[in-house]
Amino acid sequence: TSSVLSTKKDESTASKDSTTEVASKSQESTAETPKQKLLDIIGNMKVEVSYRKKLQQLKTREIKKQATNKLEVPDSKGSMLQKTTEDTQRGKPLSPELVEAASAVASFLPLNKKQTESELIAQLRRHEETTDKQKKGGTINIRNVISEMAVKRQSPAQRGVRISNRISLELDEDGQRIKPERLSPQSFDSKRSLKVGRRLNIFTKASTGTENALKTVSSPTIWDLEFAKEIAAITAQPPRNGFEEMIQWTKEGILWEFPIDNEAGMEDDAEFHEHIFLEKHLEDFPKQGPIRHFMELVICGLSKNPYLSVKQKIEHIEWFQKYFEEKKELLREI
Amino acid sequence: MAASALGWALRAARQVSPAPSLPSRSYYVDWRMLRDVKRRKLAYEYADERLRINAIRKNTILPKELQEVADKEIADLPRDSCPVRIRNRCVLTSRPRGVKRRWRLSRIVFRHFADHAQMSGIQRAMW
Repeated sequence: TSSVLSTKKDESTASKDSTTEVASKSQESTAETPKQKLLDIIGNMKVEVSYRKKLQQLKTREIKKQATNKLEVPDSKGSMLQKTTEDTQRGKPLSPELVEAASAVASFLPLNKKQTESELIAQLRRHEETTDKQKKGGTINIRNVISEMAVKRQSPAQRGVRISNRISLELDEDGQRIKPERLSPQSFDSKRSLKVGRRLNIFTKASTGTENALKTVSSPTIWDLEFAKEIAAITAQPPRNGFEEMIQWTKEGILWEFPIDNEAGMEDDAEFHEHIFLEKHLEDFPKQGPIRHFMELVICGLSKNPYLSVKQKIEHIEWFQKYFEEKKELLREI
Repeated sequence: MAASALGWALRAARQVSPAPSLPSRSYYVDWRMLRDVKRRKLAYEYADERLRINAIRKNTILPKELQEVADKEIADLPRDSCPVRIRNRCVLTSRPRGVKRRWRLSRIVFRHFADHAQMSGIQRAMW
């Protein structure tokens, strides 16, 4: 209900604003078509991450435009024929301009396009309904609305209990404060309970199929990853005891995993024959001479080495290859 | 003795460790320990090259001219890259002598911890 109230307040304030702006607006709007105006506004708008602000901006601009249009129609009908036709178009189905505007906004935003588009269009539809209601119902008197709302009174004893529940000065053994435990799964015991009372039927059951369809479209964007990282950083509490500390260390890699496996970190997927038969790497070397003799000794040594991986052995041989290539001219002199 | 015992309570030299993204110790006990750390790092980097150039040098098959060239090459490598310059200092006090290799601690620190029963499996000998 609070959101509905807020939108109604916006509209009432907007209508007051637009009355002052009528004179200036009438001159401007004759020059541009409303479609161009909308697109100009969207083009000038800078991309923000929080699209709630954007939606509100959009809404307020829409409200202003619609309000100015509706006020100007009775003033000058001759030049405003375009506007009247567009006003009549704004019935239950959304005008194509608004849909276009929604798609343009969605394309500017960094989040998922289709989702934002559909959400924007839903917002606009709701917006349309409220404006229709307002047109028919006249101006809202806020006093009537508030008088219906009853003020909830807290007994001072309960108030004290609630305040003391928030901040606890007790200290644990380690010197850390005990937080007041939250009773969210339980129903609130003192006066109201969640499960008592007749159904209001405000919410309809959301179909899970459409949700799944929407979710499969999006792949994790950078913003989602950053958000996930933020959540992980916030929820990572300091370890309460030695066990948790050890768990954290194991995750970081400071502590080994027990029972210790000797091959931790070593992933040698190569077969034994790749370790032993290394002659195929000797193809670039000369077949005769002391270098070949030397390299065969190197290979013999490498084949008996259980500590190096195959890649390291190949690197070893390649290093020698490079070295002897560089010294080729020297070797020819000899 | 008292000075050395106090020495490892006070922190004298500081060194910013590279890539401070993870929280890591930024103070070594003294500058000698720092230099030892640098030598160890360099020795680790150049270990492969040194091994290979030495394999060419200590050889009876290859011609001597090649071996002389290899001699010059290994002399050109940075001086701190040779493993001979590494000194196994005590990890806590940076004491260069009286260090037991298994625990990397000097005899004084070792005795201190063992007497306070903070060394696992160590007991005073009596026979």
